[in-house]
Amino acid sequence: MKLTIGNIRITNIVLGEQSKVESGTLYVNPKELEAVVLEDSNIVSVKFDVAKPGESTRITPVKDVIEPRTKAQGEGGMFPGVIAKVDTVGSGVTHVLKGAAVVTVGKIVGFQEGIIDMTGLGAEYTPFSKTINLVMDFVPRDGLAAHDYEKSLRLAGLKAASWLGGLGKNVKPDEEIVYDFSSVTEGIKKYPDLPRVGYVQMLQSQGLLHDTYVYGVDMKQSLTTMICPTEVFDGAIISGNCVSACDKNTTYHHQNNPVVTDLFARHGKDLNFAGMIITNENVYLADKERSSDWTAKLVAMMGFDGVIISQEGFGNPDTDLIMNCKKVEALGVDTVIITDEYAGRDGTSQSLADVDVSANAVVTGGNANQVITLPKLDKVIGTQEYVDVIAGGFENNVQADGSIVVEIQAIIGATNEMGFNKMSAR
Amino acid sequence: MVKEVERAGIPVVHICTVTPISMTVGANRIVPAIAIPHPLGNPKLSMAEEKEIRTKIVETSLQALATPVDGQTIFEVKY
Repeated sequence: MKLTIGNIRITNIVLGEQSKVESGTLYVNPKELEAVVLEDSNIVSVKFDVAKPGESTRITPVKDVIEPRTKAQGEGGMFPGVIAKVDTVGSGVTHVLKGAAVVTVGKIVGFQEGIIDMTGLGAEYTPFSKTINLVMDFVPRDGLAAHDYEKSLRLAGLKAASWLGGLGKNVKPDEEIVYDFSSVTEGIKKYPDLPRVGYVQMLQSQGLLHDTYVYGVDMKQSLTTMICPTEVFDGAIISGNCVSACDKNTTYHHQNNPVVTDLFARHGKDLNFAGMIITNENVYLADKERSSDWTAKLVAMMGFDGVIISQEGFGNPDTDLIMNCKKVEALGVDTVIITDEYAGRDGTSQSLADVDVSANAVVTGGNANQVITLPKLDKVIGTQEYVDVIAGGFENNVQADGSIVVEIQAIIGATNEMGFNKMSAR
Repeated sequence: MVKEVERAGIPVVHICTVTPISMTVGANRIVPAIAIPHPLGNPKLSMAEEKEIRTKIVETSLQALATPVDGQTIFEVKY
């Protein structure tokens, strides 16, 4: 499948009269966007705000971040099976409002949503301090159960991103990138001497608001399966997560999966990007065994020479990670795992809950327990009410001068396990 | 905790869902639990059925405590 991504560079978002994309500015009429998201009777009202890089602004509690995109040519639409019809995506032309992001804010679980700082030390840890964010803060109807609130907020964010993306449908992109995924036979014929590398993406699926959806299917109810890598660029995988902020994959991460883009960048040069497997992280041991058996079986059937495995979350998913790694390595196929660490504040504890000698090539997104101090910022979008109970926060962590001491666990995307971030120890 | 209590000379049964982690951390007697969010219950079952599985887990655990082991052993619960 061949997909062209047309990036329309967005350097400003202005709330105003007419909704349009013009000369790199996304103009949004809040009334029009409000009408899109208030179709849902579970949402009473929504407040829009714009947060720009460098501003003294904190956004919290953040639920999801989504990139505005639209299908400009070809089959299907954004977020198939959820917002658009379930038609197969991943081909044709997709326009992206590059540099803009929709950020949804709401207290669903309270302790499992995160922080985005647009300036200061915290900003260095989140990729969303570099995007221009249209923030939507929702008020749910009284008595709405947490799982319904999560769903409403999830869908509202996706609807908004899809609607905003649509404003760029007829705009000429500033840059075009072609992703061409070969079939198994084409790939072998074209690149007979290159190693066939596969990607195994593990998706959070623990239930109780820790879910991921693929074409609208709740991933905890799926067996391990395959997906064409170009499909992820069209929102085939979406986040339904309220897990620790640092290592949840937001929908934005899925739309821009760096393992996929990097494998494409090297496809036909020093490797043959031969396929992508998606698997889950369920809470029953039998599911973990079955799903990892299935991962290894698909790797064997596809005849991959090497596999990259990315994890989502931490704790018991460490076991899914190690099972996937161990079972693929047992086939004689090399693996590299991408994870993050909970090694304690001093970094001396065991990093993962499960280990195995076959996990001998590991990329880490960093130590989520690392403590940093976030400065007092002038403006808060949402509320700071939860910064002490948020995962990564602790009692009395707000200092007298207004600064907040947190583990980087509390910051959206800080230790992303797709390797989305640029910060390094070197 | 399992290891420290055993170090004091008292045998321990570790009831847990993710038995591979229990093996990694070095428990000697392991009894599988139901699921991570509900180790000793199952919201899909009736209260009476839940009590029954709980009883079986505890009985298996007591059996495990009284069984000599040479190394790390998983005692499956017979439902």
